[in-house]
Amino acid sequence: MTVSPTINGTAAGSSPSERRLLRTAAPQSGFAPWKDPSKQPIIRFENVTKRFGDFVAVDNITLDIYDREFFALLGPSGCGKTTLLRMLAGFEKPTEGRVIVEGKDITDLAPYERSNINMMFQSYALFPHMTVERNVGFGLRQEGMPDDQIKKRVDEAMALVELGKFAHRKPHQLSGGQQQRVALARAIAKKPRLMLLDEPLGALDKKLRNQAQFELMRIQEQTGTTFVIVTHDQEEAMTVASRIAVMNQGRLEQVSTPGEIYESPQSRYVAQFIGDVNIMEGKVVSLPGDGTVEITPASGDGRIFKAGACEGLSVGQQVWLSVRPEKFRISLDQPQSNVNVVKGRVDDVGYLGSISHYHVHTEAGNRVTALRANSSHSVERTISWDDTVWLEWPAESAVVLKA
Amino acid sequence: MRKWMVIAAPYVWLLLFFLIPFFIVFKISLSESEISIPPYAPVFDLSEGWEAFKTKFALLDFEKYAFIFSDDLYMAAYWSSLKIAAVATFITLLIAYPLAYGMARAPREWQPTLMMFVILPFWTSFLIRVYAWIGILKNEGLLNAFLLHIGAISDPLQIMNTTTAVYIGIVYSYLPFMVLPLYASLEKIDQRLLEAAEDLGSPPWKAFWQVTFPLSIPGIVAGCFLVFIPATGEFVIPDLLGGSETLMIGKTLWSEFFNNRDWPVASAVAVLLLLVLIVPIVAFQWAQQRAREAGR
Repeated sequence: MTVSPTINGTAAGSSPSERRLLRTAAPQSGFAPWKDPSKQPIIRFENVTKRFGDFVAVDNITLDIYDREFFALLGPSGCGKTTLLRMLAGFEKPTEGRVIVEGKDITDLAPYERSNINMMFQSYALFPHMTVERNVGFGLRQEGMPDDQIKKRVDEAMALVELGKFAHRKPHQLSGGQQQRVALARAIAKKPRLMLLDEPLGALDKKLRNQAQFELMRIQEQTGTTFVIVTHDQEEAMTVASRIAVMNQGRLEQVSTPGEIYESPQSRYVAQFIGDVNIMEGKVVSLPGDGTVEITPASGDGRIFKAGACEGLSVGQQVWLSVRPEKFRISLDQPQSNVNVVKGRVDDVGYLGSISHYHVHTEAGNRVTALRANSSHSVERTISWDDTVWLEWPAESAVVLKA
Repeated sequence: MRKWMVIAAPYVWLLLFFLIPFFIVFKISLSESEISIPPYAPVFDLSEGWEAFKTKFALLDFEKYAFIFSDDLYMAAYWSSLKIAAVATFITLLIAYPLAYGMARAPREWQPTLMMFVILPFWTSFLIRVYAWIGILKNEGLLNAFLLHIGAISDPLQIMNTTTAVYIGIVYSYLPFMVLPLYASLEKIDQRLLEAAEDLGSPPWKAFWQVTFPLSIPGIVAGCFLVFIPATGEFVIPDLLGGSETLMIGKTLWSEFFNNRDWPVASAVAVLLLLVLIVPIVAFQWAQQRAREAGR
């Protein structure tokens, strides 16, 4: 058996079963194959639509996912993210369009014919009548692999998820966190090129979930497998993913890195779905041409706000200005500048230890949330209820949304 | 006090309706046949005093059991009963499994209706349903008339009064007892387990043997015992459908009691039947216990 640690996993001439479980980890910094036009995607959805009767679960989606990505499908329940994942696994057939994996059209392949794709199920779907070891080895037994090799691969997979000592237990004798590891080991033991995870951590409590997220990332990096994860938890998606597709009613709202999604959302939907945001409706008054845009609020009080411009803006257009709570500088003294400054009164203070939330009622009558890190206590006077405050934000941290 | 009564109730029930009758039958089996009323001796009468009781007690013996063991007819009847019950149970399983599987896979909203169809025969008396089979199976019956009509056979088939008729009767009568536990265990199998098996490279027919079948074993075990145990002691079906050709212990028991009026031998036959069945009953209890302990 040739053991060849290669970036793409498949050394020339070696069968998929001979691929090593542990491949050399790619440097994650600067990992952006989606920006490289010479790269071929490992997964391609081509105009995929899925209807259940009258209900359109997935609406004409075209999406590329690249090798070694940790790709998150994020959205509220019923947005079509699970349907999209199940089409990759083969449990749903697209009504229209094609699904291509590694250059091969797999649209009509049954799940058991997709040997390079494995899935970790939301409820784990562990076989209750088999021991942990038998569960993990299940997929390998289907390939007709010799017993001694199965044993080796099972041990390898269980070591990867740190489950070795539970080999002879039945699933119901394990805790939720351990069951989750078994499910992961079972899918990874087949050394798939593509690993699908359907809300893999949904049943764990918050602390365990955070730990498991980092473990998933570690395993993804160690094995060099492409992961596609479905989640409704935006924090989880932000933590683990190289790119996130935010979905809404069967459509893709935005596909970007976590940073881009957070810092430059393309729609109010995305801005509101990821983190907290203050959104104000307005109109473009001028485009000075220096990469900024001037906006006046729809309430018509004549004030002008500056923000970073995006493409395709025109004077008079209706837009929305979004500012994240932590972008505000909140102070008791009037700032020197009068660009992007609003005056208001503190309605509420939420003290969360490391940070505080301030709900500010502005002069224009809006309610705005600002956030401040409590890094330097007792240096400034504490801001409290009914204080008059000024909120100031830099033009580049305000995002103009066209939809 | 109330808690005590709740615990005691089933035991009192067992004592009154199982243990006491059993000891009465057991006592008769140790007695001697007499032409009198009741047709056995001794009859205990406490008014005769303790000494008389002791004398009579000394008269009890296991002679009838020795007789049963020495007579091939009884042994053959036990053996044939067990064989017929085992074969019938197996046939019932073969028919019930696809039925229960289909029910469990049917759309949710149909399942109560399908379930009702399975229980529907219970709305008519068991005796009448077995009687109806005579009308179907006899030489001039519906089945033969139909087969003759379509030209599949030229002479009527002799089904009535054969062991085949007994099989048909047992399979028909006990089918619901097999379908219901099978359905119960098949219905609760998580469909995602089959998806997981398929995802791991197992085609649907293989996934059935690797996942569905092993997980339905508790249902198979329960169904088999529910059919096998009563079928072994079955009297009505072999009597009505099997005729004189079929040898089953239930029939032997009946003829000892009512034709020979030999109550001690009949009682001994009944006690031995219970002993024969206690083995599978205990095995059944043990299997149930184990299934409970294994969790889901």
